[in-house]
Formats: sequence, C-alpha cells, structure tokens
Amino acid sequence: MILRRLIGFNLLSAVVLGIVGFYVGWWLGNLDTSSNLAYFADTGQNDVALFTAYLTCILGFLTGLGFLKYPINRMLGKPASLREKETSGSSRYFGLCTDHKVVGLQYLIGIGVFVAIGGINAMLIRIELLNPTAETISANNYLTIVGLHGTLMMGMMTSGILGPFANYLVPIMIGARRMAFPRIEALTFWLLMLAGVLLMTTLSYGGFPTGWTGYAPLNIEANMGIDSYLVFFVLVGVSMCLLGLNMLATVITMRAPGLTWGKLPIFVWGVVATSVLMLLAAPVLFSTLIMVALDRTAQTSFFNTQLGGSSYLYENLFWIFGHPEVYILALPGMGIVLEIIVVFSRKPLWGYRLAVAGMLGIALMSWLVWQHHLFVSGINADLRPFYMLSTELVSLPTGFIFVCALGTLWRGRIRLEVPMLFALGWLFNFLIGGLSGVFLSDVPSDVTTHGSFFSMAHFHYTIMGGLLFSFFAAIYFWVPKMTGYAINQRWAKVHFWVMFIAFNSTFGPLLVIGFLGMPRRTVTYAGYLQGANTWVSISAFVLGASMLVFIANFVWSLVFARVPAGSNPWGSKSIEWQLPSPVPVENFAELPTLDGDPYPYGDANDATPVTSAQIGPPA
Amino acid sequence: MSSPAGSGSLYHVVEREPPEVMARNLRIAARLFASAMVFAFIAFLFAFFYLRALDASAVWQPATVKPSLALGSAAMLILVAAAIMIRLGLRDHRAERRPAWRIKGAIALALLILFIVVQFVSWTTQAFGPSDGPYASVFFGWTALLTLFVVGLTYWLETTLATSIRYRNQGAQAAIDPGHASGDAHRTAPDIDSPVALVRPAIEAVTTFSTAVAGVGIVTWIVLYLLPA
Repeated sequence: MILRRLIGFNLLSAVVLGIVGFYVGWWLGNLDTSSNLAYFADTGQNDVALFTAYLTCILGFLTGLGFLKYPINRMLGKPASLREKETSGSSRYFGLCTDHKVVGLQYLIGIGVFVAIGGINAMLIRIELLNPTAETISANNYLTIVGLHGTLMMGMMTSGILGPFANYLVPIMIGARRMAFPRIEALTFWLLMLAGVLLMTTLSYGGFPTGWTGYAPLNIEANMGIDSYLVFFVLVGVSMCLLGLNMLATVITMRAPGLTWGKLPIFVWGVVATSVLMLLAAPVLFSTLIMVALDRTAQTSFFNTQLGGSSYLYENLFWIFGHPEVYILALPGMGIVLEIIVVFSRKPLWGYRLAVAGMLGIALMSWLVWQHHLFVSGINADLRPFYMLSTELVSLPTGFIFVCALGTLWRGRIRLEVPMLFALGWLFNFLIGGLSGVFLSDVPSDVTTHGSFFSMAHFHYTIMGGLLFSFFAAIYFWVPKMTGYAINQRWAKVHFWVMFIAFNSTFGPLLVIGFLGMPRRTVTYAGYLQGANTWVSISAFVLGASMLVFIANFVWSLVFARVPAGSNPWGSKSIEWQLPSPVPVENFAELPTLDGDPYPYGDANDATPVTSAQIGPPA
Repeated sequence: MSSPAGSGSLYHVVEREPPEVMARNLRIAARLFASAMVFAFIAFLFAFFYLRALDASAVWQPATVKPSLALGSAAMLILVAAAIMIRLGLRDHRAERRPAWRIKGAIALALLILFIVVQFVSWTTQAFGPSDGPYASVFFGWTALLTLFVVGLTYWLETTLATSIRYRNQGAQAAIDPGHASGDAHRTAPDIDSPVALVRPAIEAVTTFSTAVAGVGIVTWIVLYLLPA
C-alpha cells in the first residue's frame, strides 16, 4: 500500500522524474557537439544542453505529478472533467489537487519557503555591507546573492497574494464551488515551485551578475548561471499568465446569482485588476526572455549591439512587463487593506466606486509609464515629459485608495487587532513609498537618485512595506478561516511592532544613504557611509528576527497549540466568514444568492450579505 | 468545527455541475487566451520596428536575407483556410450537421499540420539563418512562436474532434461512466452533468482562438514578408 502510494503520481515521483529528465536532457543537449556560441567556444559552455536539460526536467516533473494524464485522455476523446484528488486525505497537499482551498494552502507554504530563502539572502547582503570593503563575500558572489534575493522575491511574490488568498477566497467570495479551470490552478502552483528550485541551481553554474532585471548585454555575455534566471522567469511568466486568466474567467463567469459587478468584495476587484495585468504583461516577459535565450543559443542578435541588436531594446521590453509587474505586486494588497479596514472599523467601505476606479486606474496607467525606468539610459529627451507626467499621474488613482481607506476609518469603531495593525502599517509605509516615488518620476531628481540606494529604498517601501505588510495582514486575518486554528495574538503583536519599527529603521536611512550617493548592487562603498550602513544592517537583522518570531508563532499556533478559531472570530459579515472553519470541500451545501450590500456594517445598513442561501456544511 | 476540507466528503455529495457553467468558462477563456497571445507577439512587433528603425550597424537585413514570399504566403493562406474551416464546422455543428463538422474539423486539423510542415520547410530551405542580423533574428523568433501557438491550436482542435468522434453516435445528453473522464477509479459520479454537451462550446472556443491565430498569421505575413527592408 505504501509502495503503491510512493510510486503513484505525487511529489516524490515528480522529483525523481524531474532529476532523471534533467540528466536525459543534459545528455541530449551535449550530443550537439558543435559549440552553440562561437565566443563561448573556449569555455566549454553549452547553453543548449542546459536549456534542454531544464525543458526535460520540467516535463519529467509535471509527468510525475500526473499533469500529462488528463491531456492525453483528452487526446483520446475522453470528455472534460473538473476534479482530481480532492478527497485523498493529507496526501493531496503533495500533488496535483484541484480543490482551490488546497491549492491556496499549498501556495501559502510554498511561497513562504522561497520568500524565507530570499530573506536569508537579504541578511547576507547586509552582513557584507557592514564593511565598506569586500571582505565577507566576493564581488561575484555578492552580485549573485543580490540577484537571487531580488529575483526570488519578485518572482515568487508576484503570486504572493493571488496564489494563497485569491485561490482560496475568490471562489467563496463570489459564491462558487471552484475556480473556472481547477487543473490550470494546480499547474500554476507547481510551475512556480519548480521555477524556484531551478533558480537555485544557478549556484551550480556560477550564478548571475544582473540583479533581478537581467539587463543586456550582461544577460547574453554571462556564464550559464543566467540560464537558470531565464528559465525561472519564463516559468513564472507562464504561471502568472495562467493564474490571471483563471481568476478573470472565474470572476466573469462563476459569480453567484445576484452578485453584480457593483457588489463584488473590494478584494475581488483588486484581484481582477491584478489579473488583467498578469494576463497581458506576462506574455511580454515570456517573449523577451525567449529572445535572450535565442541570443544565447542560436546566435540571434536581438540584444547584441555588435551584431545589429540593441541592449536598450531589452530594457524597454523588460519594463513594458516590469512596471505593470510592480502594480501586480501592489494592487492585491490594496484590496486586502480595504477589506480589513472595513471589518475593524465596523463601517461600510467609504467610496466603494472610487476605490474600484482607483484600482482600475492604476492598472491602466501602469502601461503608460515604463520609460521612467530609462530616464538616464538613453531615452529620447522629448519623451521625458510625457513619461514624467504619466508617472506622476499614477499618484491620482493611488490617492483614491488612500482617501477610501481614510474615509472608512473616519469615525469608525476602530479595533486595533493584528490584521488591522498590519493594514495601518501598510498605509504608512505605502505613503512613504509613494512620496519617495515622486522624486524618481521627476526627471531632474531621478537623474541624481537613479540607481542609488534611494531608488532601492523607495522600491522596498512600496513592495515590502506595501505587499509584505498586506500579506501578513491577510495571513493573520484569513489563516484562522483557512486552517480552523487561531494564531496567538500576543506574539503576533510582537511580530508586528518589531517588524514595523525595524522595517522603517532599515529603509528610512537607506533613502538618506541613497541621497548621499551610495549606488545599488556594489559590494564596496565610501568609508564615510559605514556608520549609517551599520545602523541599517543591525535594523535589518532585527527585521529578520521579527520573521523568526512570526514563523515560530505560526508553527506553534497551527501545529502544536491548535486552538480552534471559531467560524467568525473577527465578526466579519463577508460570506467566507459565514462558513465553517475550515471551509468544507464543496464550499456551500447549495449555491448561494448574493444580492445584498457587500459591506452591511453600521446601524442603518446591517443586513446580511447572503439573502437566500444555505451556507452551512452539506447535509 | 467541521473536519478539514475534503476529508470524509465524496464526489457524489457535490451537485453535478450543469455544462453551461463550463461552456461559459471555455468561451471567455478563449478570448482571454487570445489576448495574452497577442501581447506575446507585441514584444516581437516592438523588436521588429525598433531594430529596423535603429539599424545601428547597418546590418538590419542584408541582401541575402530574403525569406521565400511563396512559402510565407502559403503558410499564411493555410492558417487562414484552417480558421475558416473551423468556423464553417462550427456552423455545421450549430445546424446539427455533425458529420459535416467532423469532416471540416479533420480538414482544418490537416491544414494546421501542413502549416507546421511548411514552416519547417521555410526554416530549412532559405539561404539565411537566425544569426544573420536583426531581421533574421526577429523572423526566426516570431515564426517559431507562431508555430508554437499553432501546435497548441492543433492540440486543442484534436481533443475537440476526438471527443466528437468518440461520442458520434450519442446525443449531447450521453451518459458518461463515473471516473471515465479523468481516469479516477474512486469517482462515484461524473462531476459535469453530460460532459459531451461541452463539445459545441469547445468548438466555439477553438473557433475564437483559431481566428486570433489566423489574424496574427496575417500580421506576420505583412510585417515579415511585405514590408520593405
């Protein structure tokens, strides 16, 4: 029985077949004895072999998980079906499972592991920067660590909210039993996990020197370590495109009767805006990285200036994806914050339509600003005013979100529970991120601060201060619903305060250090900046310690203490909180009708959002 | 407190989903996927016009780099013909002329395979390779990506056609054995009520996507073959 389980379609089989696939591909790739790149001929480098190995590794991994079984059945004419391994006990967490709630929890743990690795990289960076000379880590290794940190964080956290929380909650919030395409939902998760593992293999091939942006010409000149980066982002791109498609199809077609667009929970609107960006931006990334891979293997000349290409072309294409990517990271956090502020202010969301307009406005504007990343990289001077203006205009729809949050807080019955603390922390941090962003969108000040620690600090204020704080807000708010167990609130508050103070103590001074002229991605720096850098490093270590507090509390609460959370510990009126904790596999005994106000808080408007439904467990 | 999600629940407690739900999903997904595909080609379109305008080393398209207009035109026409054939097949299916749909679907499938063959012939017979300058780079990258999407379309059409042929003697309400669709032996009931009824929405979705692919094929032909160097 145990043997039968071990050799079935599961994670173990996937790992074994993935490794076998890798070596088969490596062998096949090396059959091509002719050197694929003339200028790499002396190095013994064979990018064709490595790309082939990665490709066959991916195929082997997906085969082991059972992802090829259904497509082959469909080729034989067997009709479509929806569900797979939803009732197979705890083993469903280690393989292909089509239950959206299982996939949500898989995402939460899987992404958490890789973000932790990214965080360890950040600690290594700060250890090195304790000293202005390259003493602890060599320059090459330092660049690889910086690249791994950025790439892991950006790639994984792209799905940081949609993966765990949208997958788990959106079908419930719209009154559906499932996502539109459950197998695709599972596929997006496993592709992302495999991407993370393959990125780690870069260490076996010398790392990569480009940071997370992978700029040309470094990306075509670097050693084979960059191939891992390319494969990682291609897989992330495919995963996020499919995730966005699935989310959009689900929200468009599977809403319960009565749930019109004007009644969608604001978190779902955040997911919709994000999904549009994911669906359309990720293919641009995919194509761009394919071009890089062709430059490295087939000697094409997209980005090779000597052969008629242009490295500036890469920068343009990357940021056509890259700037929407920034909002892919930020938008779902806005939805979470508004969703939480409503519950802990006991007030309806102020300016619901304004908030929706803000999210959609940000999504639209994000396509029109990408060249502000290239203000000092050779942009035509006549184009600068347009991109400066369009970038500064993004603050308008972003301001809508802040106005709605503050309007909801105004005269609310505010409870400073842990999710609310993180939501308020988000407001503070994102405000600093937004204000510092104005300096970077403005051409004269950008010329001074571009490529410095100022832009890095701004970026961390928006992404870490924005996304990660909303991520933790969501964890403390919804994980009791997802698992059925409460998280210890006292230690959660310790986590919040240490994290909030250490975060600002880390990145606030970095804004100043950037203004003082310290460039990013350099292992050495001027001696007079050592004092400030030491302060930042110590703050960063405290920030890292706050994550240990979180992990310890999370594991203790959910694995050892296991205190039942109850079905609605926060007194929320959203539909997910009317279900038992954790939610049963079918979600609803009967599909509900949702034609009420999504936020029926306050004395005058206190109706339940579910007007005709049975939302208990099935009989 | 209830038990953890899934444990103790069997499929038969889940109401069987009416096929209309999945039909709507298929239709909207085809449109969304077509949009995503277009954005993948926008990157190549951007690269084409950017490198063509830049021509930094005056090597954009050397005189020897001339793809065969005949093969390019043939590929484009085959793609358009396949899309038209799928659309005509959909019309037949809507008019309950199912044998006619299957014939047109099979012809479209053959045409798509022919496109892939023609594309391979084009790559292997022309007098330049991917390393012969920026135009050649865009040409190979773009056409390779198009071929990748055509392979995907071919697969999608084949699955639709195969289901249609397998259940050719049964109506839309044909009974499907539990577990038949996915091979799950433990399944106690099909999770989609009459899944054969999904054939028509699948044809509609394939039609939408094939039209988009044909549109990209026409743009490919204009940009890569007709625009002057």
